[in-house]
Amino acid sequence: MIRRLVGRAAQGLLVLWAVTTATFVLIHAAPGGPAVLADPKLSPVERAAIESRLGLDRSLGVQYLRWHGRLLTGDLGDSFLYQTPTLATVLGRLPNTLLLVTTALVVAILIAVPVGLAVGQRPGGPFDRIVGVVNFTALAIPPFWFGIVGILLLAARWRVLPAGGMMTPGMPADLVDRLRHLVLPAAVLALPLAAELIRYLRNAVAATLEASHLPPARARGLAGSAILTRHVLRNALLPLLTAIGLQVPLLVGGAAVTETVFAWPGMGRLGVEAALGRDYPLVMAIALVVAATVVVANFGLDLLAGWADPRIRSRR
Amino acid sequence: MTLLALAGCGRQAPPSDTLRLAIINDPIMNAPLSPDIGSVLINKIIFPGLMRPGDSTTTEPDLAASFEVSTNEREYTFALRPGVVWHDGTAFTSRDVKFTFDQILDPKSGTLQWSDFSIIDSVTTPDSLTVKFWLRSPFAPFLTLLGHNAGIIPAHAFQGRIADAVEFNRSRPIGTGPFQVAESVAGSYVVLRANPRYHGSPPRLSRIIVKIVPDVNAQVAQMLAGELDLVTLEPANLSGLGNDPDLRVDQVSVPQHYYVGFNQGIPRFRSPLVRRALTLAVDRQAIIDGVMKGSADYPQGTIPVALGEYYAADLPRIPYDTTAALALFAEAGWRRGQDGLLRDASGQAFGFTLLVDKGNPSREQAAVAVQQQLRAIGVSVTINTMEFASLVRDYVVPRRHEAYLIWWNTPLDPDQFSYYGTAQSNNDVLYSNRRADSLLARGRASLDPAVRRAAYHEFQAVEAEDPPVLLLYYPRELQVRRATLHGLPALGIRDALRHTEKFYFAAGGR
Repeated sequence: MIRRLVGRAAQGLLVLWAVTTATFVLIHAAPGGPAVLADPKLSPVERAAIESRLGLDRSLGVQYLRWHGRLLTGDLGDSFLYQTPTLATVLGRLPNTLLLVTTALVVAILIAVPVGLAVGQRPGGPFDRIVGVVNFTALAIPPFWFGIVGILLLAARWRVLPAGGMMTPGMPADLVDRLRHLVLPAAVLALPLAAELIRYLRNAVAATLEASHLPPARARGLAGSAILTRHVLRNALLPLLTAIGLQVPLLVGGAAVTETVFAWPGMGRLGVEAALGRDYPLVMAIALVVAATVVVANFGLDLLAGWADPRIRSRR
Repeated sequence: MTLLALAGCGRQAPPSDTLRLAIINDPIMNAPLSPDIGSVLINKIIFPGLMRPGDSTTTEPDLAASFEVSTNEREYTFALRPGVVWHDGTAFTSRDVKFTFDQILDPKSGTLQWSDFSIIDSVTTPDSLTVKFWLRSPFAPFLTLLGHNAGIIPAHAFQGRIADAVEFNRSRPIGTGPFQVAESVAGSYVVLRANPRYHGSPPRLSRIIVKIVPDVNAQVAQMLAGELDLVTLEPANLSGLGNDPDLRVDQVSVPQHYYVGFNQGIPRFRSPLVRRALTLAVDRQAIIDGVMKGSADYPQGTIPVALGEYYAADLPRIPYDTTAALALFAEAGWRRGQDGLLRDASGQAFGFTLLVDKGNPSREQAAVAVQQQLRAIGVSVTINTMEFASLVRDYVVPRRHEAYLIWWNTPLDPDQFSYYGTAQSNNDVLYSNRRADSLLARGRASLDPAVRRAAYHEFQAVEAEDPPVLLLYYPRELQVRRATLHGLPALGIRDALRHTEKFYFAAGGR
């Protein structure tokens, strides 16, 4: 077990290094430059002063080594746009994104498990077809559209939910207020995710039901519901966990759009601003934190998979 | 289900003494730094300057009580308003003014106003309530610039570089304005509350909440949802507002001119005939109607109508006239060939690449309109859309551009010497006209409004004969506000926010 943990940790570090290197190359290969230098009124003197302050007057190789060197001391530099230490800025936003994404994930699982189990038992049945159409629609429509329509109907027309933000500004902290702000963005994120998970679960359940070990269980006289939870769900859990693992990076990325539409102060939105403004240190810090989040999440899911399927535990 | 049950309850109308406005990014609350529009706007509220805009062409004392200009017009003496205190209770003195301008004049400080004030030779403080500015030469826009972005910051709040004062800049700024920061939540909002010790008339609102809403569609939605009271929008966003009876749209002339600039370092753009022809060949009314949905004014020269008396209203309008354009092209040696393209004697076709920044629908559409209209008279235009930063850094600064669609956003002063004076710092189109040089120099050097008016009117007449750029339009700012919100001066939002103590909600509430 310990050997496995160490192996996974080394693997995780390698992934992080690959991500930061790729990000560094990509952000510098992209055309354009830092928005802080975009003011056409800047005199050459001011331009040079800014470049030297931001370290942009050094060669790319030096900038790359410097960044990784400082990383070892836990210093990821200052954001060009925010003029604040990047790591603190990103970590300040991370909880907001995690709150949104976790809520969406929980909601999606709560929807997907019963629906997936139901349609998986009767593939091709009428309920399966209806769910199939709904699913397809949910996956085909981009989340920002759901977001805008949701805002226009629920916030602008009926005024039952707030249009954006995480809380009503200037009011004392209030759980109900926070929850009300969470409903729309979490729903927008959860919808396509639930659709995706239902698809995986449906197929997994259908496959398990056809598998050979069920007739003996039935023959032992186990009730239908017991078979479903003890045998079918347990077997279908593995593909479900894999599917969730695959969705985590997409979820964090998809949150950028949702966060922008709902003015949610999350990390995804910060990432969009950083990329558009060519805020190199901030982009690097976000890439690192997102990659670390995904690595940790996948590691956690791996442990869960081991619990769900003993074969995985014993394989290594 | 529980979430949905929560949805219906708890909605509480905010008191109507709170104004909610939106900016698109987290602000840096330090006036001389202000690197982006969000910061510029909130800093107008927190940090007054020595002066502030009165109406479109006047400026009035703010932190200054009065001022005197020496007879050689190079020495400005400001008597500061006595009894002004910073938001933390410390007395405001001449030391703060000197400190602020020391920062502005030091390129290493990270402020972006050096080019506005490089005319300053030195700043001295004879006593705690007197500041003297010594200018290198007479400079008419000086007072207007003092009321533009040069908000004063407190000397006592900083040790070391002001750009490193993260705590001050991000969450606890100290100004002298009518509203002071009470709470700042990164990425979400800044709450400002009325300053009971404000030096001007007492603020009528009790709070201003500045929300950070990066997406313009989301701003529209929040206006409709009653969660914002004032935003500025692009014409393309207006249709989204529908006809909500609670909202009003005010169109305000602002000191901006949008244009296509031609690099006059390139021989074929050097001829005034060619630039006049290009201007005649573009149907600018169609762009104003189609792209700007009518919310712009038809342009004359580079001095926009927002500058009031300095705008030469009596000059003949330059029409859309392709026949006249072709005649001028012919005079300059460009004639239409067999293929319909304009060619010179050697057979070379007239064409250019037009750079435009990505992401702004009005500008991208205007570029396409220019392309189509010029194609109709045989000029081939290739559009190259790119990010603004890249347009400036990779093309304009190294002068690698042929033509670009861009704009200037100026203080409320007609001085354009740095934009259109020969070899001046912001003259990116490399325009050079002796007569224009001397008129622009005269206009910036005289403090007499009559002399200035005459100089700028004549400058606009020169521009009609030798246009520095192809003017497209003077945009009007679309200010969308809650119908009950009053007290805004008829100025662009940047300047109007210098007067927030006058804002109020009329009875009737929301």
